[in-house]
This record gives sequence, structure tokens and C-alpha cells, in this order.
Amino acid sequence: MGSHDNDPITRRESIKKLLKISQGLALTGMTAWPFQRDLAAFTGSTRQNFVIEGIGRSQKYSVKALTRKVFETAGGIQRFISKQDVVVIKPNISWARAPHLGATTHPEVLEAVIELCQEAGAKKIRIADHTIHDARRCFAITGAGMVAKKTGADLVYPRSSLMRKMKIQGHRLDVWPVFVPLVEADKVINLPVAKVHVLSDLTLGMKNWIGAVGGRRNALHQDIHMTIVDLAQFFKPTLTLVDAIRIMIHNGPSGGNASDVSVSNRLILSNDPVAADAKAADLFNFRPQDIGFIRLGSKWGLGTYELEKIHQSKVII
Amino acid sequence: MKAKHFVWIRRISQSFFLIFFIFLLIESRLPSDIYLDYSIAITGEQNIELNYPVTFFFQLDPLIAVTSFISGHQWIKGFGWAIGIVVLTLFFGRLFCGFICPLGTIHHLMSFVRPALKGQTMVRANQKRPDHKFKYFILILLLMAAIFGLNFTGLLDPIAFLFRSLSLAIFPGLGTGIKEVFDLMAQSDIKILNYISYGGEIIVSPVFGYGYEAFKSAWLMGSIFIIILFLNRIRPRFWCRTLCPLGALLGLLARFSILKMEKYSEKCTQCQLCTKTCPGAASPIPGLEWDPTECMFCFNCFNVCPEDAVVFKLKWPPKANKAPDIGRRAVLGGLIGGASLPLFGRLDGRIHKVSDPRLIRPPGAVSENNFLKLCQRCGLCMKVCPTNAINPTLTEAGMAGFWTPNLIMLQGYCEYTCTLCGSVCPTGAIHPLSVREKIGGPIRIGSAYIVRGRCLPWAENGPCIVCEEHCPTSPKAIHLKEGTYRGGDGKTVRVKRPYVDLNTCVGCGICENKCPVRGKPAIRVMAAGESRSVKNQILLGE
Repeated sequence: MGSHDNDPITRRESIKKLLKISQGLALTGMTAWPFQRDLAAFTGSTRQNFVIEGIGRSQKYSVKALTRKVFETAGGIQRFISKQDVVVIKPNISWARAPHLGATTHPEVLEAVIELCQEAGAKKIRIADHTIHDARRCFAITGAGMVAKKTGADLVYPRSSLMRKMKIQGHRLDVWPVFVPLVEADKVINLPVAKVHVLSDLTLGMKNWIGAVGGRRNALHQDIHMTIVDLAQFFKPTLTLVDAIRIMIHNGPSGGNASDVSVSNRLILSNDPVAADAKAADLFNFRPQDIGFIRLGSKWGLGTYELEKIHQSKVII
Repeated sequence: MKAKHFVWIRRISQSFFLIFFIFLLIESRLPSDIYLDYSIAITGEQNIELNYPVTFFFQLDPLIAVTSFISGHQWIKGFGWAIGIVVLTLFFGRLFCGFICPLGTIHHLMSFVRPALKGQTMVRANQKRPDHKFKYFILILLLMAAIFGLNFTGLLDPIAFLFRSLSLAIFPGLGTGIKEVFDLMAQSDIKILNYISYGGEIIVSPVFGYGYEAFKSAWLMGSIFIIILFLNRIRPRFWCRTLCPLGALLGLLARFSILKMEKYSEKCTQCQLCTKTCPGAASPIPGLEWDPTECMFCFNCFNVCPEDAVVFKLKWPPKANKAPDIGRRAVLGGLIGGASLPLFGRLDGRIHKVSDPRLIRPPGAVSENNFLKLCQRCGLCMKVCPTNAINPTLTEAGMAGFWTPNLIMLQGYCEYTCTLCGSVCPTGAIHPLSVREKIGGPIRIGSAYIVRGRCLPWAENGPCIVCEEHCPTSPKAIHLKEGTYRGGDGKTVRVKRPYVDLNTCVGCGICENKCPVRGKPAIRVMAAGESRSVKNQILLGE
């Protein structure tokens, strides 16, 4: 009988491991199962899905304070961003429109999120969006450039060399050029703005990923909902924070007039991309299941639009 | 001060102005680090302008000022600088050519750094020749044409010529090559190559452009530029002696220059060093009469003469120098050519009958007739356009409008709140607009029409709303109407089909640019409806 010291794994341990692996396999097989959420919670993950709605109701509330409050309610940014993380933030700054026109993510929200990430000890923070209008003009006019300068975050210019073909392996998209910074990151925060859209009904978090790819984007519209879901499953953000401070209710997604915008003073934070969009759809009086990409997103297991199944809370300042 | 010092002052001045010219040329684009204060942005539309006076060299150029005035009847912005150059020339001769002109400096470098000609061949090349009169022919031709309402000075004006050649051909050519290499490296699987390419692009793109810049017929500009550079191998500063209309104009003004060459024949040993180093073939050697109209005041002869037989001196009061040798042929040819070209130019009927439907001028462009009186074809608007939409024409504007700006919506589009082209136009051919004026007017550059035979929803019952989505006006000029249609396969489908509202369309062309039907998009912009033309309107209006 020799000592067991040299044996890497005892028989007992190997059985334990096998059990664990099979359990994992079983779980993945059950993704479409309605009890999936409970099981995920059961496995002791901190990733219990939640959706938090922040509302600025007081007369002169600050957008920054509201952003902080929302993250606090979610358990603090440290829960999601670790020290030395490379964090990439994907705002929607596609149009060279001033912030008050509601076509782009509000710079104050962007600034607040960057500051939170910095406080959490992120090593590098990048802002990345493949804009529709000329990127330099978008950076300047949306205020994103100013935020980058103020906070020291990197504002990545969407140059063609940063678009690389990758395997999306979706139902509709197989290989597609992707904006590299968004995959070369430890954590990704999706920071969309809530707008109406003539084809997909709404532009929210999941649709924001169209701004994360290159190539023939104008062809994606031919199967908009499925391609949105394909991209959303590829990018999988750590968090989605929907900027609904101003929501665009007419003439979306580009707007152009202050009268196209309604002030809603809300922020929606979720770690479930489908739930975030479902919650935001409420603001436009849409039933979430009526929006194609929300329904499909739920069908393919990206999350749920049945908000009562996840942890919900509301915070008002 | 010794002659050597004059030569060094000239070299420093030449380097300074050449570097300054190239610096301003590089800065003639939207920088990537324009940061605006969004608290200001919230209060309204901001006008984005460039940080540097990129039109400085155009303001310095008396030929541009004069021709714009006689054809377009207006003094261009900053023409005071040009008056300064005129006054300078009246007193001190063609100092501009020797000390300031960036194209002259490039020719000077080409001629005297490793010259092609040596010894006696160089001396022979620097003799005065009858073909030097050709520049007066060009000058008279341009001035005469300007009087008759066609200003194509910029085709041969040195500042416009150099700016156009460098910014539309040489720089984008180099930029394309560099970018292709970087893109290749970025696609590599070797990580270090990726990083070199990302870093390299950050350094290179502010100079050579952020994308693959494309300018139609730029190959021709580049080739002409290179050929003209090589002419310096035949004779030094070939362009300045034989072709340059600005040199001709300044030469005429140098008639009463008080800065004069003094020759001491008794000291001269006929070593011919002065002639050998004279870039202007201005007969510096004692025994011949000095040509003040050809002399570029480079002070080479002054510097090289071992016997001090050639010196420059200020002589007051001003007295007429040797008369310029223009020649009757140059005058007659210039007058006849200058009068006929503008008239022939109108024979294509583009001004009086109908213009090309695809000739889309930048926003703020004045009416076509006035446009041809002011546009210098310098390429500044093309260089600054952030979407690379503005391109030089080849035939779209006819012979008279050769290389004038035209928006090609397949390459770019006119950004709704961008007013850069007008803000940099040196002559006001494109009127400077504020954002408010542009979108409030609105200034239309054309209007869009749908080609139903190619449009996905119209021809194929397919889902596509890309033109509507991108339409920047509010309310949108493109709207969709949903209906049920039966396709070729007999099945019925619900389809949203686009319609254009001409009342709101400004012709910006983003719809054409983003249409998934490439090459010949299913929605196109034509010039009809452009604000600058009364004749070219479609709607009755209010």
C-alpha cells in the first residue's frame, strides 16, 4: 500500500467530479425548461436575474445620482465588475444628434457608468460603437467625446481594421464582421437608449448590438428580429442599462426634433437582456411578447420577458 | 548682411511656408478629437468648424482674389492678405515665388537637390527662352475667361493646383496603400501584428484619412502633378518659368520694384556660375540685361558670384525696370482663347437649358452660373467632407465645370447637420451656412426618388425599411405604407413600402448611400429640387 499523495484524484473524488459534470450537462440541456431560473438560483450563483427600474421623480434629480442609485439597488457595481477588468461600454451613439433629441445614449448616464466602473477598479474602460453617421461627428455631438475626455475612458474609433469576421453561429447569421473591442473585454455593459423603430417596433438593448458589427448591416433588416437575437446571444453583456431618461416616441430611430421625444426619467438595469427590453417596452405601452425580438429572445433562452419570474424592484429619487 | 544670409533666410522661409501649407492641408479634415461641451450641446445645434485657418494660402493668392472679383464680382474672405502680396511685389518683385510659394519650393527642391543637368547643360537650360512667354498667355486666358463668366483659374493657379494634387491624389494614394497594409495586419492571427496595426492607424489616420478615401479622376491629378515635377529635370523650376499664371501676374507687378539687381561688368570673369544657379532664367550674368519679371529673388546669383559682380540693392525712388517680354502672340491668343472658352463652355446647354440630373452640388453652393464664376476646383470641400461624398466632376458639369465638386451618394452622403464644406470654401462658391440655416431653411441639394423596379418591398415584397430608418429629417421625408400584396408565387404578404415626401426631402442622399441594393440603389437622389436653382424646382411651393 503506497501513499495516496502521488495520486492526483482519488476514486471518491473522481466520482464526485463526474457527478458534477453530468449535473452541468443536465442543466445546459434544460435551458428551455421553465424551472431553469430556479435551478440557476439553486446552484448558488450570484447571478440571480433581476430587473431594476429607477425613476427620477423629484423636481431636480440628477441623472448621475439616479444611475448610482440603480446600481446600488442591484447590489453595487462591485458585484459585476472586478478589479483589473477590461470593461467595454456599448452606448448607442449612432447618430450625430444632440443629447436632448433622444436619439443617443445620454452622456450623463454614460459618464456615471464609467465613473462607477472606475470606482470598482476596472483596469481599462472603453466606449465602443460602430456609428451610422461619421464617427467623429457622432462623438462630438452626442457628448460621448466630452465624456471620454472628462473620465479618461478610451473612445474607440470604429476603423475598418477593427472589424473582424467571427463565428456568430446564430440561426440566421453564421459568420459576420464584429467590432473587435466588444469581444476583447472581460465585461461588457450595454447602454442603449429607448426609441421607437419602424421595423422592429422598438430599439432597445438587444437591437443595440447591430451597432457592434460591421459588414452589410443594411441587409440585417430583411430578418430583423432573428438577427437581433443572433447578435444578442453572441455578445451576452454582463449588464444592460436602458437609458429611458428621454424616450423617442415618434420618427425613430433617428428623430431630429425635440417634439419626437418624451421625458420619462427612467433607467432600467438588468442582467437579463430580454427582461431589460421587456421592462422598457412597457414604457411605450407595448406588450413585451408582441415585440418580435423579445419573444424570440425568450424562446431561444436568452432570458425571459415574464418579469414576475425574476427579481423586480423599483427605486425612486 | 552677406549674400549667404539672404539665401539662408530664403531657405528658412521656404521651408516654413511649405511645412505650414502641408500642415494646413492635413488639418483640412474633421479631427477625431473634437470634444464639445454637451451642456452647450443641449441648448441647440452647434456649428463644428476647423481649428485652423485652412484657407490661408488661398487668401494669400492675388490671382484667386482678382479672378474671383472680376468674374464673381465679390471680394473673397481675407483678400487683404492678397493685397499684402501685391504691395510686397510692387516694391520687392517676385519675392512670393522665391520665399513663400509652396509649389515653387517643391520645384526648387526638385531642381537643385541632385539636379539632372550639370555644367554647361545647366547653363544652357537657364537661358531665357521664347517659351517663357507661355505663362503670360495662360494669365491673359484666365483673366479674359473670368471676364466672360468662367473662372477656371484654379486649374492652373499654383496654390489650388498643389492643394488639389496633394489632398485628392498624393495623400489619399499613400493613405490607401498604408491602410491596406494595416488592414492585412489586423486580419492576421498573430497578436503583435494586430497591435502594430491598431497603433499605427491611430498615428497615420489623422494625416491620411480615417477610411479609404476615394476621389474620381484623382489618378489624372496625381499623374499631372508627377509629370510637372519631372519637368524640373528638363529645366529648373519649369512650371514657374513657363506655366505659372500667378508668377506671370507677379512678374508684371514687379516692373517698378525698388529691389534691383546691380551688375558690375568690370568685375565679371564670365564664369557663368550665376546663370547656372538661376532658377528663373532671369539673365543675371553681366552683359545681359536683368529680367525683373522672371527673377524670383532667390539670391543664388548674389551668393555664388565669386567676384561680387552681381548684387541686389534697394533703389529709391522707384523707376521702371526692363519691360516684360509678353509678346503679341501670347496677348492675342490669350484674349481669343479666354473669350471663346467661356462661350463654348455654355454650348452644352447646362446653364441655359438643363443641367445634369446627377450633378449635386454641396449644400450652400450658389447658382450654377455663379458657381462657375467662383469655384477654384481647389478640392478643399472634397478634402473636408467627412463622408467622402464630395468628388471632382469629370463630365457631369460639362467642360466648364471640370473638377468642380459633385456629391456621389454611393460613396458618402451629406450629413444633416454638417456644414464644413461651406465653412472652408475659399471663394464663397459654397456659401457658409450655420446648422440652423441648413436644416431650418431647409437647404435642399436635390431630392430622392424610389426606383420601384429595384426596391425590395416594391419589386420583391421583401421587408426593408433602411431608407426610412436613416432619413434624418423630422418628420421623415420617407414614410412607409403597409399593405397586403400578392407575390409572384401567389402568396399574399404584409409589406411596408416606402414613399418619398418631396416637401420634406432635402436630398442628403443617406437613403441612397445605405440602400442594400448596391451599385444602382433603389432610391436615388437627383439634383431636381435643389434650393440654389429657380429653374430646377419640382413643386409649386407656397
